[in-house]
Amino acid sequence: MRFALDDRPVDFVDGDSIAAAVVRSGQHPQHGGTLCLAGDCGNCSADVDGIPYTRTCLTPAQPGLRVRRHPAAGGPPLRLAPPANPVQSPGQPTIEVHRLRTDVAVIGAGRSGTAAATEARAAGRQGLVLDSATGHDVVGVYPGPLVIVRTPTHMLHVDAHEVVIATGAAEVHPVCDGNMLRGIVTAGAARMLGERGVDLGRVVAVDIAELGRFEGVDGAVRAVVFADGRTEECDTAVVSSVTRAPRDLLARMVADPAVRVVGSAAERFDLPPCPTEGVVCPCSKVTVADLDMVWNKGFTHLELVKRAALCGTGTCQGGACMPHLRSFVTDRSGEPAAPFTGRPASRQLTIAEAAADVHLDPWRRTALHHEHLALGAQMDRFGGWWRPWHYGDPIREYWAVREGVSLGDVSTLGKMIVTGPDVVEALERIYPTTIADIRPGRSRYVLLLNERGHLLDDGMVCREVTDDGSDRFVLTFTSGGASFAEAWIRDWIETWGLDVRVMDRTISLGAINVTGPLAGELLRRMGVDEPPKFLQHVHADVAGVACHVMRLSFTGEASFELHHPVVHSVELWRALMEAGRDLHISPHGLQALFGLRLEKGHVIVGMDTELDSTPRRLAMEWAVKMTKSDFVGRTALARTADLPDERRLFGFTMDGPAPTEGSPIFVGGEVVGHVASSFASPLLGRAVMLGWQKHTPWADEVVIDGRIATVAHPPFYDPEGARARS
Amino acid sequence: MHAPERLHGLRAVSTPAALDGARITGEALVLRIASDELIAFGASGIAVDDPYAIVEAETTFQMWELTPAEFAEHVVRHVEWALPAARPVLAQGLVAGVAVKLWLDHDRVLLIASSGLVHEVADRLGVPA
Repeated sequence: MRFALDDRPVDFVDGDSIAAAVVRSGQHPQHGGTLCLAGDCGNCSADVDGIPYTRTCLTPAQPGLRVRRHPAAGGPPLRLAPPANPVQSPGQPTIEVHRLRTDVAVIGAGRSGTAAATEARAAGRQGLVLDSATGHDVVGVYPGPLVIVRTPTHMLHVDAHEVVIATGAAEVHPVCDGNMLRGIVTAGAARMLGERGVDLGRVVAVDIAELGRFEGVDGAVRAVVFADGRTEECDTAVVSSVTRAPRDLLARMVADPAVRVVGSAAERFDLPPCPTEGVVCPCSKVTVADLDMVWNKGFTHLELVKRAALCGTGTCQGGACMPHLRSFVTDRSGEPAAPFTGRPASRQLTIAEAAADVHLDPWRRTALHHEHLALGAQMDRFGGWWRPWHYGDPIREYWAVREGVSLGDVSTLGKMIVTGPDVVEALERIYPTTIADIRPGRSRYVLLLNERGHLLDDGMVCREVTDDGSDRFVLTFTSGGASFAEAWIRDWIETWGLDVRVMDRTISLGAINVTGPLAGELLRRMGVDEPPKFLQHVHADVAGVACHVMRLSFTGEASFELHHPVVHSVELWRALMEAGRDLHISPHGLQALFGLRLEKGHVIVGMDTELDSTPRRLAMEWAVKMTKSDFVGRTALARTADLPDERRLFGFTMDGPAPTEGSPIFVGGEVVGHVASSFASPLLGRAVMLGWQKHTPWADEVVIDGRIATVAHPPFYDPEGARARS
Repeated sequence: MHAPERLHGLRAVSTPAALDGARITGEALVLRIASDELIAFGASGIAVDDPYAIVEAETTFQMWELTPAEFAEHVVRHVEWALPAARPVLAQGLVAGVAVKLWLDHDRVLLIASSGLVHEVADRLGVPA
């Protein structure tokens, strides 16, 4: 039976691991280094059937396997998958995750592990033993505790009340001059190879405490030089040690009282002598000289030495080098050095294994998704939703809004109903705008601030009165900010102990924005004889669908948002499109909407704002009533009101095409900020922008994209707002 | 297994005590999704002793009805949390990364998702859309 090593055949006998067969053929799975053949080091790792860093000592030899040694220097070449289409579903994961729950998960089937499992079962508890030899390769232990296991066919997640780590102890590798030669094995490896009938040639055994160095020819060991100066020639050097290294990497991954270590894995063995020469970390090829270099640069802690020298960061995660690294740090510092923190994965995983059953955040579709597709929409992801970016011609969509009537799917907006005896008090405390003076049937634009006065979100507050005369408010939020805003508001209400009812209606209601100078005409055709005036809202049937009609304007034209039960979205959309056919109605996507609102200077939270944007920085102090006694963020705004501030969002215009959003803004050759939003306005015939200046004095003239741009205070279009109110 | 069925019902928000005494009209599947919120699928009316209660129509949810075997095949391996043992019982949480509700009955399981996520549930669990 044969497999291929670097495209050349290697014979093996039944029961051989790949590594054993390679040694039997007189070769080394890598290019040198001590072999333990117990899975503790990375010195036998190779590419097996396209999977790099496979421990060949734990991989049974099989006919037809293709084994390829990693390069002597550097890692194996990366094989990149073709770029994925970001707007297509990634499809089903290719590796399944199975889940098990048990009382006790025992890792390791040796004497201690078997005893722990027996003890658990005797106590009437369910015990599960996991061991590499039976195809359960434990790669990580997480709080919970949760044990992640790789099997030949799937990943296994084990939730256990208790985890017992009984992984035993490893042999210590030699660190000395010549320790990366071929032909050096541990005593355990030599015993196993002997049992399998592998001819090791002339063998010299040496205890690490008596070892001086190895000498070799053409990369293979030829002699052992003892510490006392004796030299013995050999084909194979067998290294033993009275001390051992606990296999406690899994235990070092998690601090959980439900995880305990037993047997040799829990023992405290003496450290080997401090290394003076040779390779300490064979995975990362870190020498004693490398450790000295980083130590002398001031990295005088084991965790720092590890990070600076990369010692212990390779394939075996310190399995081979940890005792020597601890010995080195203990020697230099004079203090006992504890092992470094362990982190999953303890074994090399493929990306597919690591990603098994890991799902991307889901992206919602509105009820109109297929209507958009039928109209030729290019869909894209925004704020957790699939939304139409455009329908083929965003400029035509823009003009439909400016000159006629257009529909926009705004179902994604956050929507919330709030009532209760304390509802006005709650909203007064939450919003920086006055709420109590909003009359029923009216609405108001509001900012949502955090305690630091930074903008979290924005939206509308609509007030209405129920049949029994109590207050009821409908709140709206941005599409991307709705979930957080809901949690934020609920949290404050609970914190204050106010008596308020909150119902989130975001996913329950669809919303269609009817916008453009002919929007009112379209609504009248649909049976709304008296469409609400600007910032008013009414409940009305539109095409037989009960709607909450809100008059506002994000586009700069007359706009009516029709909020309705989501089950009626399609019939309402189709009715509006049909009724507006002779008005040349067409839908508009986000691309046109972003330009339309930019002409009005309306800010998009998260696009134009930053994490620390205050109303002053956004030139939106008009939306804050500091005369109120309190609201979330008021204290911070009051405290900082008189302090100088170097950040401000400005409007800019310039001739020519719109610069790329994110473009740097220059003054005198220095970068002073960046463009947040840009749009080549068809109506104005020039580029309009919102952008940040973060250095004072603020300039009236800047350079963007190599061109002169001038500060202009928005709105760039219809500054009096006559069209929105018409 | 069939494609999901749209559920019609009423959603109510009120104080926990008032919801405990809610009077629901019609043959309804009542899911108490929070201490202060319930959804009654199939209900034609909900009366709550709370003048500030919010009661609204709810039409966004869709439901797959699964046999226990179908539930085990399509759903269970995607549930990272402990499923309750009691029956019937409501469970809510992420399944394959998607927020769903599960009505676990003795002889059937209702897998309920908002309509905006039905395509994600179908893609990830391999149930019909």
